[in-house]
Amino acid sequence: MRFVVLVKQVPDTTEVEVDEETGTIIREGVPSVLNAFDEFALNEAIDLKEKMDEDVEIIAVSMGPPQAKDALKKCLAIGADSAVLLTDRVFAGADTWATAVTLGRAIKKLGDIDVVFAGQEASDGNTAQVGPEVAAQLGISQLTFVAEIEKVDKDSGHIICKKETDEGHVRIKAELPTVIACMPEPGFEPKIPNIRDIMKAKKKSLDEWTYEDLGGDEEEYGLDGSESVVVRTYSPPPKGEGIKIEEKPEIAVEKIIEFMDEEGLL
Amino acid sequence: MARTKLSDDRDLTEEQKLFKESINDWAERNFPLERVIRINREGHPFPEDIVEGLAELGLIMGTVPEEQGGMGLTWSDQIVIAEQLGYIDPSIATAAGFMAVETGWGFTINRYANEEIREKFVKPAIQGDKFIGIATTEPKGGSDVAGFESTGEKDGDEWVLNGEKTFISGVEECRRMGGGYWVNVRTGPKIPEAPHKNMTAFFVPIDADGVQPQEPYDDAGRGSLSTSGFIMEDVRIPDEYMLGEEGKGFYYTMEGFDNARILIGASSVGVTRRILEEAADYIKERETFGRPLAKYEGIQFPFVERYIELEASDLMVKKVAKMQDKRYDEEGWLERTGKATTYKPTEIAKWISMIKYKVPHLAKDTADDAMHWLGAAGYSSEYIFETAWRGVMSYCVGAEGGANIQKLVISRETLGKDYIPYK
Repeated sequence: MRFVVLVKQVPDTTEVEVDEETGTIIREGVPSVLNAFDEFALNEAIDLKEKMDEDVEIIAVSMGPPQAKDALKKCLAIGADSAVLLTDRVFAGADTWATAVTLGRAIKKLGDIDVVFAGQEASDGNTAQVGPEVAAQLGISQLTFVAEIEKVDKDSGHIICKKETDEGHVRIKAELPTVIACMPEPGFEPKIPNIRDIMKAKKKSLDEWTYEDLGGDEEEYGLDGSESVVVRTYSPPPKGEGIKIEEKPEIAVEKIIEFMDEEGLL
Repeated sequence: MARTKLSDDRDLTEEQKLFKESINDWAERNFPLERVIRINREGHPFPEDIVEGLAELGLIMGTVPEEQGGMGLTWSDQIVIAEQLGYIDPSIATAAGFMAVETGWGFTINRYANEEIREKFVKPAIQGDKFIGIATTEPKGGSDVAGFESTGEKDGDEWVLNGEKTFISGVEECRRMGGGYWVNVRTGPKIPEAPHKNMTAFFVPIDADGVQPQEPYDDAGRGSLSTSGFIMEDVRIPDEYMLGEEGKGFYYTMEGFDNARILIGASSVGVTRRILEEAADYIKERETFGRPLAKYEGIQFPFVERYIELEASDLMVKKVAKMQDKRYDEEGWLERTGKATTYKPTEIAKWISMIKYKVPHLAKDTADDAMHWLGAAGYSSEYIFETAWRGVMSYCVGAEGGANIQKLVISRETLGKDYIPYK
């Protein structure tokens, strides 16, 4: 079987600053990390591979600037078998749609794929759109908010996942191939690659593909291929100091209602 | 407020960046600063789970060749690991035990050991199952390596060792885990004009008959790692446990010191960086007279001066690691081709002595400064500074060679041999 894991390199969220004049995120000099949701997706793919009897190949794919190679190197060290970086100035400025077009074409170029793993969202944009849009590009099913993959059965052509909902969890079955957008549960601890794994990863294949490798017109990629426009990015003004009520529930409710009444919120 | 970060990893290789990330992630889960402080107060032996973690991460003896159980890392790689161990454990106990001793000396033991020692001791030590170390210092001193008095006498196909080794790192851990030590003894007459000759190195298992470990010392710092000693009374060691060739122990020891000292320089960079980051967080938050401490030039200027010294030291350590990489890359070149190698070993030793002298002192002085910036809080074990101060002091006063010995090496290589004071 062949799995693709889509990953993104994001600014370390504890370090993000916004340029007050331009309203854009300052990326220069900011440390980057592998998006935590994608790291979870990769961990799920590796755990699944370890549980399965048949041979499984895991390919990590990322679209980004040349330095996104660092994120893919980490994927290789954690356990991906190979990696592809989609990097080209033509891809720059892509919204989620143009990103999905790019990733979708790369996945098609990789040939037969059984499961595409993605993180539920990226910590920089938080759109949660890329996974489902890739499924649309490929014309295959999608499962979102996946907390756990129970089973992938090539013979029956199905995957069974545990999916998070507002009420709890549901078990859901989908036909292969499929895209699953993974959502870690609280307390998830990703695998830490050791030095040996990191050095072994040096020998694994990490290809770089440009738009010419994917085909199509330049206008279909990046900013030109984007359907949406980011008007402004800004940090919301800090909230004022809140109130904290530490009482038994019944008293707390009364106090909250009293507060809301005083503030004219009722 | 975001935590202060003073490291710039953009000049590292992709792999080296991942080394740091993995070590930090592991430490965040298993070995946070609170635990570092606590185990230093509680004392040795060093926690087993941390040794297991270090081994699982592949941090021990990475420079040993792959076919011998290591990873064939370069010294430029290994210093990144050493620096990060100093960063996560600024008491320097972890770096002392598992970088300077096990990696610096372990690598050197492995170079001169036979297959049996490699299989029985070196490989298990890499896997965290045994502890191997160095025992040079004797009750009469440690800096005068050529003056050691322990003896080895040949008896059939064995050697009988007698003497005492003291101020040895990790003896308690070695007893608990099994393992042994590199020991230098005199195996021929002392030649007054060349006392360094006739010294021979042996690998002595800690459980060999006649090895009598002594009670650990109550050290000022790096309390989670034991320091002790052992007496050797008619310890019989087979011929095969000789390291390298008879009579060459002094030269091998100098090489071992070089390897250990590089890693101590690197770890001390990590200690200093962590101290400055932790101190920066404090002085940016803590206010006196309505302003953060960091606004006062009396604090920000010394902070900046230490930071400059830190980055200069970091560059020096990286330069020295490259020199050491050349040394091993070009090994045997002179013998094979008759052409000079890039650096003479004594030149490399000079640079290594410079970082061994400079960086632990920088770490100690930076911790000292930070304690002053924090006042009473800095003197308390609530913060890492006093733990770091007590720990790195060990490398200022003598561990892996005292400060003045480093200066002798540097003066010998700069002013010339005519000015060696003890000749």
